[in-house]
Amino acid sequence: MTRTHIVLIRLVLLALVLGAWEVLPRSGAINPLLLPPLSQVLGTLGGLLGRPDVQEAIGVTASEVLVAFLIAVPLGATLGIVIAENEYVGQIFKPMLFYVFSVPKSIFLPLFILVFGIGFPQKVAYAAFTTTFVVLMSATAAVESVRADHIMVARSYGATPVQILLRIYVPSMLPMLLETVRIAMIFNLTGVMIAEMYASRTGIGHRIANWGENFQMPQLFAGVIILATVAILFNETVRWLEARCSTWRT
Amino acid sequence: MQHLADLKDVHGHAGIPAIEVSGVGHVYAGPDGGVPALERISLTVGTGRFVVIVGPSGCGKTSLLMMMAGLRQQTAGSILCHGRSIPDPDPDRVGVIFQEASLFPWLTTLSNIEFPLSLRGTPKEERKRRSRAMLSLVGLDGFGERYPHELSGGMKQRVSIARGLVQDPPVLLMDEPFAALDEQTRMTMGHELLRIWSTTRKTVVFVTHSLTEAVYLADEVLVMSARPGRIIDHIEVTLPRPRTYEMMATDVFGQLRDRIWQKIRRSA
Repeated sequence: MTRTHIVLIRLVLLALVLGAWEVLPRSGAINPLLLPPLSQVLGTLGGLLGRPDVQEAIGVTASEVLVAFLIAVPLGATLGIVIAENEYVGQIFKPMLFYVFSVPKSIFLPLFILVFGIGFPQKVAYAAFTTTFVVLMSATAAVESVRADHIMVARSYGATPVQILLRIYVPSMLPMLLETVRIAMIFNLTGVMIAEMYASRTGIGHRIANWGENFQMPQLFAGVIILATVAILFNETVRWLEARCSTWRT
Repeated sequence: MQHLADLKDVHGHAGIPAIEVSGVGHVYAGPDGGVPALERISLTVGTGRFVVIVGPSGCGKTSLLMMMAGLRQQTAGSILCHGRSIPDPDPDRVGVIFQEASLFPWLTTLSNIEFPLSLRGTPKEERKRRSRAMLSLVGLDGFGERYPHELSGGMKQRVSIARGLVQDPPVLLMDEPFAALDEQTRMTMGHELLRIWSTTRKTVVFVTHSLTEAVYLADEVLVMSARPGRIIDHIEVTLPRPRTYEMMATDVFGQLRDRIWQKIRRSA
């Protein structure tokens, strides 16, 4: 099957799903109160995007996500690299980190509310907390993916430590680090959403939770579309970068 | 001091050997005083010679080579390269070819070959010129823009040899470079290496555990015992050059190989 065929089939499938979303509620096969037709959801979406309070909610969520991301990625990457590069630090902390990593982070949410309240700092702190662990784990794996024989070869050609860092470590780790950034954003968005839906006064997650509770299904689905679009766009951008940086990967 | 001139060998070096190893020993740190890996190793490699070190697995031959390269320090004795010690890797004096080709997968073939030059800021034009010449020397014209994963095992090791030669070091240390290759490729690569050696006239120290490879390639074979590694025999290979595959079937070849085998067997 050629590439064009595959893309074509994908588009057909997408059209089928979207078509079903329109037709099934209209025909009554699915209760339109539970699943409003696509056209109605899109209409609501347009209206919502024009409303200042919704715009503000999106802005709040976006800044929470961004700040948490800017804290978690450098922090997690630094910790991960320190742990991977330093044998003793690694031996001491690795088991604990793996234990904590296996615990669902959402059970700590009440604790975060007690410490940080239910505003901006709590969202950022909770999302950064959940994300740091993922970044830390991936960064450790990225360092461990640097091959000892590559370092040996570079040393034999008289490479300085800085040259080894820039010419061996960075290119070896780059594809995995980009992957880390991508996964970090997924965890980060999830963290902010959970925190907003659990207890908040603003943010798009809070709105979605409210619309759900009030049975405002067109608004709820419009909110889902907004979030899904943002998440997919970010993910695909990083994936595109990844592909560009690792043409040499088999 | 007239007699000094007489000491000059055919390559013009005033009697100083390319490599001179004296009383080298190595002990790996550990409980009970550590594990002795090498004992009282002394050997001399004349300039332009092709010397093969052969020995059983774990005899420390790779360690010895890494010490000659300045990549590892011995716990006893001294190693001189053209009369000077080599405490750190010095690509101007010694090039190393490793068992794995260890090409950088994110660089093209040409960029891999240029790598040693780019570390020291050689101008781009000169880098290009020299790496292309090396690519041609190892018979890979036209493969310069390929990535390592697009090359076969033998081709990768050719690129690795080109990378080792690009800085034109007078001494080339090779650590079982063909061990990971299949038998046919290995034979071809041995033959290729001799061709390259005959045009560049480097001093080569080649480590292997293949007896056939040792006799086929070498001017001299040094035989090492099982751990702790010692030199237990020194054999001059008198077969004429250029070497041919047919020589492997001769009595002389068989006797040389047999002598090495007997030595290694008795040392184990």
